[in-house]
Amino acid sequence: MIGIVSYLVFFLTVVLIFGIACLGLNLQWGFTGVFNAGVVAFYAIGAYTHAIITAPPNPLLIANLGLPWPVGVLGAMAAAALAALIVGIATVRLRGDYLAIATFGIAVTVQLITLNWQSLTGGSLGFTSIPRPLAGYFDGQLSYNIFFLGLVAAATVLVYWALERVVRSPWGRVLRAIREDETAAVALGKDARLFRLQAFVLGSVIIGLAGALHASFIGFVSPFDFLPILTFQIWTMLIVGGSGNNRGALLGALIVWGLWSGSGVLVSKVLPPEFQTQGAAAQSILIGLLLVVMLVFKPRGLIGEEPVVSRHVG
Amino acid sequence: MRNLLGLTLGTALAAAIMAPSAVYAQDAECPVKVGGILPLTGSMGAVGERIAESAQLAFEHINEGGGIKGCPVEFLLRDDQGQPTVGVDAAKFLVEVERVSALTGTVSSGVSLPILTSVTAPSEVVQITCCSTAATFTALAESGESGGYFFRTLPTVKTQAYASAKVASDRGYKRIAVIYVNTDFGTGMVEYFKTATAKLGGEIVAEAAFNENQPSYRAEVNVGLAANPDAVFFVAFPQDGATMTREWISLGGPQNFILNNALRSPDYVEAVGGQYLNNAYGMDNASAGGPTVDAFRDAFQAKYDASADGPGIATQYDAAMVIGLAMNIAPDLSGPAIRDSVRMIQDPDGTVVGTGPEEFAKAVALIKDGKPIRYVGATGPVIFDANGDVNGAALIWNIKDGELGVENTLTIEDMNALFTEIDG
Repeated sequence: MIGIVSYLVFFLTVVLIFGIACLGLNLQWGFTGVFNAGVVAFYAIGAYTHAIITAPPNPLLIANLGLPWPVGVLGAMAAAALAALIVGIATVRLRGDYLAIATFGIAVTVQLITLNWQSLTGGSLGFTSIPRPLAGYFDGQLSYNIFFLGLVAAATVLVYWALERVVRSPWGRVLRAIREDETAAVALGKDARLFRLQAFVLGSVIIGLAGALHASFIGFVSPFDFLPILTFQIWTMLIVGGSGNNRGALLGALIVWGLWSGSGVLVSKVLPPEFQTQGAAAQSILIGLLLVVMLVFKPRGLIGEEPVVSRHVG
Repeated sequence: MRNLLGLTLGTALAAAIMAPSAVYAQDAECPVKVGGILPLTGSMGAVGERIAESAQLAFEHINEGGGIKGCPVEFLLRDDQGQPTVGVDAAKFLVEVERVSALTGTVSSGVSLPILTSVTAPSEVVQITCCSTAATFTALAESGESGGYFFRTLPTVKTQAYASAKVASDRGYKRIAVIYVNTDFGTGMVEYFKTATAKLGGEIVAEAAFNENQPSYRAEVNVGLAANPDAVFFVAFPQDGATMTREWISLGGPQNFILNNALRSPDYVEAVGGQYLNNAYGMDNASAGGPTVDAFRDAFQAKYDASADGPGIATQYDAAMVIGLAMNIAPDLSGPAIRDSVRMIQDPDGTVVGTGPEEFAKAVALIKDGKPIRYVGATGPVIFDANGDVNGAALIWNIKDGELGVENTLTIEDMNALFTEIDG
C-alpha cells in the first residue's frame, strides 16, 4: 500500500511537470495558434539553466554557481524568456507550418549545443549533482517526494490560475481573435505580431519552468532527455486533453502519461514471460491505437474549448 | 481541474498520514521479485530484445538451480523505449509497487543514470547494468552519490583506453591527435586515453569531437593535422570512421592509426583500403574463453536458435547471475545486504562456479554451507572494483593486407598491472 502511494506521488509529480509544459504550449497553440514544434528547446533551456545556477561548483564545469533553488527556478524562466524573445523576433512573422519547421530546427540546435558545449553542460556525460530543494530537512524518500509534489502542485495551481485570468482578460481575447482570423484582428487595430510574440515568450517561460522542475526532481539531466519525442508527447497531451482549454491541458497530461506508463504495466502483467520481449511492441501499438480512437471520437479533445458566446446575446 | 486537484491533494494527504510508518519491512515471501528495464522498442529495440532474452535465460537457470533462498524468482521486465522518463517511471513502479529486491538495466547511459539518481540510489536498491558505458557512473560512485548500489558487468572504456595508450607508447608515438565521436562513449574513452598517455610519457597534441553521420570531417581532420602529430586515434563507428580516415590520408596525415573497437570491421577496412592500414592497430575487449563461456553460448544457441555474439548478451547474463548469487549470499533481501553481497561472489579462495543451472545449484549448495564462491561467468571472471566497474581482458588487433588479425592479447592480470602502473 505504502509502495503504491509512493509510486503515485512520483507519477503525479511527473504528470504535473508535463502538465505545466502543456499549459505553456496551450497558451501558444490553443489560444494564439502559434505552432511551436520546438517545445523541448525551452524545456531543455529551463532544465540546464536551473542545473547551472543551483549545482555546486565542479572543477570540470565552468559556471556552476551553487545558488539557492528559487534563484535557479527564476533564472530558468528568465533564460527561457530570453531565448524565446530571440527566437520569436526572428520567426514570429512565420505562420503555421513554416513556424513549425523553424522551431523544430531550434529544438535540434539547442539539443546539439547541450551535447557539444561540454565545459558548460557536461556534454554527453550529462549534468549530475543537481540539488533538490530542502532535501536535508526530510529523512525519508517518500516524505520528501510528497513535499516536492506539493511544490510542483503549487506551481501548477499558480500557473493555471494566472493563465485562466490572462486568457479571460482583453489581452486573451485578442489572442483568440488572432487565432481565428488574423486579418480581422489587424483590421481592428491590433498588432498581431506583437501579440503573437508575447504569447510565444510567455508560453516558453512556462515551459522553461517545467524544465527547471524536471531537473531538480530527477537530479540529473543529459542531452538524451531532450530529444524531439518529448515535444511530440507534450503535443499529444494537449491535443488529447483539448487545446484551448487549460483544464484540458492538465487532463491530457494525466491521461497520456497514464496511458504511457499504464500500458507498460499492463503488458508486463498480462503477457506470459516468453512473449514479453515482443510485448513491448504491443505496448507501442496500444498507445497509438488509444490515441487514434480518442481523436476519432473526441476530435476536439476530452474537454475542448468552451464556446464563448457574448452574454449580450439572447 | 477540481477533480485533478482533489486527487493530488488527497494522495498527498493520505501519504502524509502514512509516512511515519514507512518502515521498509522486507518480506521473505515467495516468489522473489527482480526487475528488469531494457529498451525493447525504439532505436535500441533490436539489440535490447536479445539482451532481454539473455536475462530471461539467466533467471530460468537460476530457478532450475534452486532459485533464491528456496524461492523461485519472478523476473519483471519493462520497456524503457529508449526514453529517460519512461525508464524512470518503470523503475519507480518496479521498486515501489512491485517491491523488487534488485534491478537490472538498462542499455543507454542516458536512461540508466536518471534511474540511478532518482530511483535506485535513493531507494537503496541494487542496479546492475549490462551495457551502460558512461564514465559518469564511476564519478558518481567516487563522490558517494550512488551509495554503492550501481554495478556494471561490461568492462568500461577505461580498459580499452589504457591498453591503446600502452601500445601507442610501446610503438614510440609521442605526439598523438585524437578525433572522437561526441557521445559518453567517445568522451569517456578520450579522458582515460589522455590520462594514460600522459602517464606513459606521450602527449595529446590535438583533440576534436565530432557529431555523427556527417558527409565530411575535414574540419576535425584539419584540427588534428595542424598539430603535426606522429599518430592519430580515431574513436568512431565504421561509416564515419572510414570517411575521416580517407580524408586524413588524402590530406597527407601520417598513416599511424590507433582505432577503437567499433572499427574492427571488414566494412571499415574495405571502405578505407587495406593498403593504407598496415600500420593501424586497435583494441577490443577480448572475448574470454573457457568452459563457462562455452556453456553459456551453447545454452543461448539452444534456447533461442541465435548466436550469443551480439552486444550486451553475455554481459546481461552475468548481470542477472550476479544478482541471483548475491541474493543467495545476502543474510536478508534488503538493498544494503544485497549490495554488500555482490562483493562476495568473487572470493579469491572460493570454489569456482560457472554458468548454467547445474553450476548455479552447486553455488547455492556452497553458499548454504557457508563456503566462499568465485563466479566465472559468460564473460569470464567478473571482478568489481571499488566503483562497481569490472576490468576485462583486452585484445590488440591489426590489419595486414586488408585482413583483420590479432596481434596479441592482454590478460586480466596484464590489465590489472597496467591499471596499477597508470593509476598508482
